[in-house]
Amino acid sequence: MAEANIQNKNNLFQLSPEGKEFVQGELSRYENKYSAIIPCLYRCQKENQGWVSPACIRYLSQIMEIPEAHIWEVAKFYTMFNKEPVGRLHIQVCCNISCALNGGRELADHLCQTYSLNAGEVSSDGMLTISRVECLGSCGTAPMMQINESYHENLNPEKAEQIINELRAKYGS
Amino acid sequence: MPKCKINGKEVDVPQGTTIIEAFKASGQEIAHYCWHPGLSVAGVCRLCMVQIEGQPKLQIACNTEVKEGMVINNNSETVKDTVRWGLDFHLINHPLDCPICDQAGECGLQEQYMQFGKYDPEMAEHKVKKCKVVDLGPTVVLDSERCILCSRCVRFTDEVSKTHELGIFERGDRSEIGTFDGKPLNNKYSLNTVDICPVGALTSKDFRFRQRVWYLKEHNTICTGCSTGCNVKVYYNEEGCWRVKPRYNPDINGYWMCDEGRDIYKFINKKNRLQEITMTEKGVSKVFQAEELLPQLGLELKNAVQKNPESVALILTGQYSCEEYQSLLNLMVKSWGLKNVFHWVNHPESMEQFDGLLLRGDKNPNTKGLLNELDLLSLTQTWKDLEEKLHRNLIKHLIVAGPENLATFSDVKEKLKLFSSANKLIWLSAGIFEGVSSVCSQVVQIPTKTFFEKEGSYINHKGMKQRVTPGVEIVKSALSLCEFVEGLHHDNKGAHFQDMDSALVDTKLKEPLKENFFTATRGSL
Repeated sequence: MAEANIQNKNNLFQLSPEGKEFVQGELSRYENKYSAIIPCLYRCQKENQGWVSPACIRYLSQIMEIPEAHIWEVAKFYTMFNKEPVGRLHIQVCCNISCALNGGRELADHLCQTYSLNAGEVSSDGMLTISRVECLGSCGTAPMMQINESYHENLNPEKAEQIINELRAKYGS
Repeated sequence: MPKCKINGKEVDVPQGTTIIEAFKASGQEIAHYCWHPGLSVAGVCRLCMVQIEGQPKLQIACNTEVKEGMVINNNSETVKDTVRWGLDFHLINHPLDCPICDQAGECGLQEQYMQFGKYDPEMAEHKVKKCKVVDLGPTVVLDSERCILCSRCVRFTDEVSKTHELGIFERGDRSEIGTFDGKPLNNKYSLNTVDICPVGALTSKDFRFRQRVWYLKEHNTICTGCSTGCNVKVYYNEEGCWRVKPRYNPDINGYWMCDEGRDIYKFINKKNRLQEITMTEKGVSKVFQAEELLPQLGLELKNAVQKNPESVALILTGQYSCEEYQSLLNLMVKSWGLKNVFHWVNHPESMEQFDGLLLRGDKNPNTKGLLNELDLLSLTQTWKDLEEKLHRNLIKHLIVAGPENLATFSDVKEKLKLFSSANKLIWLSAGIFEGVSSVCSQVVQIPTKTFFEKEGSYINHKGMKQRVTPGVEIVKSALSLCEFVEGLHHDNKGAHFQDMDSALVDTKLKEPLKENFFTATRGSL
């Protein structure tokens, strides 16, 4: 999968018909079409195996009629857009203050060690990427992590591993 | 017309004027980088701070309009302290290695530092390292560490060239100027980004590390690369000319010029120039002094015209000044009675083209001036007429006021072939073109002065007449067409007609024109 993703780097990208409709909707929603860049980038990321490739930018530039450089400015500014391929399970461990006080950083290190990965790296089977991220807005349930679009809270190393292993088994098949 | 007071001085400005413009109008200094009169307001450098009486906080002058009765200053201690600190923040990550920076001597940041620097920086943080030599495209190199993110270049590609190549990527102290996915900064106006860069971040591949700017002199002139006639300054020293930059003229080019025009300094440099007056006969060339050759040539041509007007033809390109056309036509048409005068158009297919900004398809500075002169004398023969006459071998003597800038004449070879049916060719040109000397059985080559070495006026595409003055003498034996004419009807051998313009010249070039050793060894792309 990771290899397929990397190959995808230079390929053409196109949104699904629903995706295209979404972009048109966002374009008409705001007074200034630059405001539609963030939701449209999210949509591309979702439809492009979790990352925003240069091909996505070129595609968006065409259909939104906004220069590539300006869409790329937005994508580069925000860390929640992945500019490199990620695994099918993108595990984002919060390391900001509340989580850090409750062992978030240690949790991130533990997971990296368990799965023999550096932060941000894609595992050889293309399944996992572990990232250290800043506050995800779930401070009351620290430490926590986000896997793809769902939150997993009140974690300890064992619990986190268990969740990841279950998901890996589910997605891997 | 709101009235305001700037540093105690009464200033009257039009409605809608910003404070920074009012400062400029009243001739007072104000710190700024990101503001540029030809671009939109970004308000990002935060250095043009001013204090306005009655307002608790300082304001930025570039984005605040002058209102009636405002009392503004930028010389209070509060303002000075703010600018000092603002500048220090800009310098957190900016390298402090001015001595090896290409912008040194004409750097906004350096100038501000002399005036507002803290001189005792209090920053303990390490500088963020970034890429020092980014190849942005065919003309421009970026040093990311020197960039202070004023966004002038980004606004230029958005607002002026409308090519949108540049953006600011990443954020915070990792922010960098760049292009998307390695796409080159490649447009016909890209070098303007180098001009407006207030620091040494964007440099021109053609000029970087070739010269120290404080050793260069500048001479105001116009660009002769096309019929727009942009106002420019040419930078030169004793070794030759080094670069061309635009000069503000609201009626012609605003603040900008095209990349093509920046190359015009190349053809005026000595190594690309025809050096001596020569006559070639049966493969043997002989060098002449103007005083020996021209009076005799004048007599020969005059006799030929008077014997048979059809046997002599004059060909003019749009490369010369109005005064030169006048003096040449006065002599040959009015006093000798020549009829055969033709206009050599170098790019007939693109003559009318215009890119919407500055670049025109007519690659001559004075086509309009030439046409005016031809009209005045009702000289209406076309190029077709010339071709026919040459084919029928009617023309024996051919005088060609040829290209000054050979780079814009792609058809010289083809035209020379056409000229070969004449017996004698008198070829006036500033540049060297291989094979001219063997076109006809007798060829006289006369080096001409370029726009940079003579006085004269040029009429641009919209009929504006602009005057140029001589900057330096580059080729000693070169003549303007006026001097050539003077020589032709001079009976007095040895008279000093050649230095008509030279009295105005302040620098004469030393020999030889040497290549700068450091260009080749400093940095790599």
